[in-house]
Amino acid sequence: MKTSDLKLELQAYVDGELSPDRHHRVESLLASDSQAREWVEGLRQISLLVRTNEPDLKVPTSREFYWSQIKRQMDQARASNEIRPVSTALNWFRWLVPAVGVAAVMVVVSIRSDRDEALLASTFDSMQTDSSAVVFRSESDGVTIHWID
Amino acid sequence: MPAPLKYDYPSASDEELVKWSQCGDTEAFEQLIFRHRDKIFARAMIMMRNEDQALELSQEAWVKAWQRLVQFQGDSSYTTWMTRIVINLCLDQLRRQKRVRVESIDELEEESGGVERLMPIIDSNPTAGMEQVELRRRIDEALGQLSEAHRTVVVLHEFEGLEYREIAKRVGISMGTVMSRLFYARRRLATLLSGIKRERSE
Repeated sequence: MKTSDLKLELQAYVDGELSPDRHHRVESLLASDSQAREWVEGLRQISLLVRTNEPDLKVPTSREFYWSQIKRQMDQARASNEIRPVSTALNWFRWLVPAVGVAAVMVVVSIRSDRDEALLASTFDSMQTDSSAVVFRSESDGVTIHWID
Repeated sequence: MPAPLKYDYPSASDEELVKWSQCGDTEAFEQLIFRHRDKIFARAMIMMRNEDQALELSQEAWVKAWQRLVQFQGDSSYTTWMTRIVINLCLDQLRRQKRVRVESIDELEEESGGVERLMPIIDSNPTAGMEQVELRRRIDEALGQLSEAHRTVVVLHEFEGLEYREIAKRVGISMGTVMSRLFYARRRLATLLSGIKRERSE
């Protein structure tokens, strides 16, 4: 095991993160290796020192001011929750309006399309008697030209 | 448990205050805040190292706690539940700021073999003789000198008591990275606090 891996293993031992098997192996090592024992002791000391001396920091504002700001946010959150059902209904309605609009446009387009096809058909019918047509098709350009005279 | 008409909130237990708060009693909730506000603020301050942000995040944590109070089942203590909320907010904020991943000198040293190179024997008692108030202040300063990535792991492990696996999950790093960051952070803290001892003896 590399020294760096061993140190991480010793740390995991200190932190109680090893499996019973690995824990037992580390204990065997500690029984015979004084440097490993010192590392473990050093890690324990610094961990204990930090853990038991968490910085004691105070809120820098008065109790009343701190609470008033929290209370305001709580009231705002409550108010937004109370209007949620209304806003949900509005959201639904907001989508309904454009959907109806799109549907209406499609109906109009469909009607006009039918009418245009009928008109075009009648135009062709009326043209058939005294007209001629030439068709040019270019496969390479993918273009078809209808010349109606 | 319905809140009585008038309670002696200051003498009530946390459990009672929580139950009354869950029924919508804001006075009980205010008492909880008054009782634990410094701890929650301190946790945010240690993580963020910025008073305005810590203040804002600690207040946001209380608001979230109020909104989620029904979810609190009492499996842990109320302060443990609260510190988890504020720590999560701090982690989110740090992610947003993309500061956790910024390489610092600390991280560069760690990646270039810092664990291997920087592990002399830790002074077994680097702060002997120091008064506790002073010691806490100096530890805070030392934590402030760690990179955010290292400090985050120390806070989650030493103060929150989280296991490596849980830290890895919450920070979004591998367990190996948790271990090396924690090792390096401890080594650095030991060095910084040893410096204090030397300073005091001069």
